[in-house]
Amino acid sequence: MDAASYVLSVAPAFMAYYLTSLGQGFFEKSGVLNLSIDGVFVLGIAVAYAASIYSCSPWVGLAAAVLTAVIFGILLTYVTTKFPVSHGAVGLSIMFLGYGLAGLVGVAARNTYNEMVVSGIYPQFTLPVTPIAKVLMFAIPAGLGILLYLLEVRTKLGAAVRAVGEDPHAATSLGIDVLRVRLIAAALGYSLIGAGSAGFLTWVATWSEGTGINHGWIAYAVSLAAGRHPLLTVGTAGAFAILATYMYTLQAAYNLSPEIAKMIPFIVAIGAMVTFMSTPLRKKLAPPQSLGKRFFKEERTV
Amino acid sequence: MKVVLVKRVKPLPLGGLVIPGASIVIGVLISTVVLYVISRADPLVTLSCVASALVSPEIVLTFLFLTILGAALLVAFNGSIWNIGAEGQLWLGTAAATYIALFTALPQAPAIAKVAMVLTAMALGGTWAAVAGVLRAYLSIDEVPVTLIMNYIAYYIINYLVRGPWLGKKTWGYIRTDMIPDQVKFTLLPGSTTVTYEVLIIAVLALIAVYFMLKYTSLGLRIRILGSNPDALKAAGVNVRALIITALTLSGAIAGAMGATQLAGYLHRISYPIESHTANYGYTAILVAWLSMLDIRAVPVAAYIVSALYQAGISMQIAGISSASATYVFIGAVLLTFTVLRVFSEYSLRIIRG
Repeated sequence: MDAASYVLSVAPAFMAYYLTSLGQGFFEKSGVLNLSIDGVFVLGIAVAYAASIYSCSPWVGLAAAVLTAVIFGILLTYVTTKFPVSHGAVGLSIMFLGYGLAGLVGVAARNTYNEMVVSGIYPQFTLPVTPIAKVLMFAIPAGLGILLYLLEVRTKLGAAVRAVGEDPHAATSLGIDVLRVRLIAAALGYSLIGAGSAGFLTWVATWSEGTGINHGWIAYAVSLAAGRHPLLTVGTAGAFAILATYMYTLQAAYNLSPEIAKMIPFIVAIGAMVTFMSTPLRKKLAPPQSLGKRFFKEERTV
Repeated sequence: MKVVLVKRVKPLPLGGLVIPGASIVIGVLISTVVLYVISRADPLVTLSCVASALVSPEIVLTFLFLTILGAALLVAFNGSIWNIGAEGQLWLGTAAATYIALFTALPQAPAIAKVAMVLTAMALGGTWAAVAGVLRAYLSIDEVPVTLIMNYIAYYIINYLVRGPWLGKKTWGYIRTDMIPDQVKFTLLPGSTTVTYEVLIIAVLALIAVYFMLKYTSLGLRIRILGSNPDALKAAGVNVRALIITALTLSGAIAGAMGATQLAGYLHRISYPIESHTANYGYTAILVAWLSMLDIRAVPVAAYIVSALYQAGISMQIAGISSASATYVFIGAVLLTFTVLRVFSEYSLRIIRG
């Protein structure tokens, strides 16, 4: 393999991790702690797989994964913003539901696939393997990242998202509708998470129960390690994608145990959190002040 | 016409019973519908699986594990310290006990070895949780992502050990440690193949210790105030940093003890990789702690119901009705319903005209 194809092999993992962590970081900027990420990621993969089989089109799979993720994102956002409930508890329950539904949906689709094969129908899928497709797998997510960054720092909506994440009560008194802004952040963020999970299938290209489990947490670590900054996330997503893709090559070449390679993203994430909180980087990269805090006044319309 | 959420003057009478009860019923019904719609599982069969799990002897071990972990989590949760890391803490406890059983001379004296297994497991689980405590206390880093991420670091540390230095000699090609010596295995209760005296004793001790600690000691009082009014503690001159670290350490230590009982009473060895062999008790226990509404006396009840749901998922899988996922659907649906319904113990919905 030449140098270019080494780089291109990283594309599917990069796309999956980057899109997911980009969406995660943007959504958390709005002040909702998102612990549903791994469950939604696993469910997105299963839905993308199932929809691709039923429709014979990977693009329908992508759309279905995006839609499913957005539905759960909106549920999480609505419940945590309208009611005085723990963000962590809602997030973890959606994680469990995501794991469960993923198994049910995926197994049903696999049975359909097997029946189709028995009756002589072979659904045809062409996964993107050409170099151009792989270049696009770097370029499109990176482009989306730049757009999201501009949205975050240059637009009113971006300012509103950051404001409701820092102090939703102050934002309300400035006339910002906290629920509306968070719902928009959820729709955008979870679209990216859904797209990332569908993109995961271009990396592993197969589904069995539990496919993708823990990879959502890696995306979470990617986002934390970059302080939820859309552009810095390119670096962490790229680095962890290289680790994940070349885990066994690294073992052969440098005797780096795959277990250590798997551990690195999580250690880096904790190291980054420590760095961001104990150095002047805090100003730019610390988590939003109101992340995970209940947003509630004494009385309100539901 | 508007629907308004209003704070109650007094909490809902019997809310501690009505709300968890209603959540379980609604959650199970939602799961039944979901299982029917996606997997065509006959609703009557689903419900009968749940009903028979409630009286199944199979759930006793899960019940005891979840009781210990529920008690562990309550120590931290009562102080509003959200320890999501019981999973990693308990597995490190399992690893510590494995080390004592396989790589020291202690098993020569089985009684000492058993005590040492539990104590080192508690020490390691506690230390692991204390790391998150230090980061929270000194750098105000949220303990939720830290404890969660540390679960995965713990998994991979143990995977590394099991594949490397701890790899067994008599494993028939499987990647796993050797069996721990027979003399350090815990003693089975008569008539049971999974439940040991030791796990029973540790569960009872954990419940009693946490109950007394929270109710009758100054440490317990401080932890509870930390959960409701941390500023009052600072004003009273309490060392809040040390308190946060202590609460997380105790929580992790009890979770670690469960890890030792899991090894010596049930697993008897560690198999690679952890993430495919774990029963996820550390995460499931979060549901137990929530359903108990942070009241230690309710932990066994919550643990009983959750272990029944857990078993219902497994029996549906064995009956071929659904995949392994049914358990997750049950747990997710009940937890989500409960999280929302719980609001109504302190708030009520009113309809206002005009």
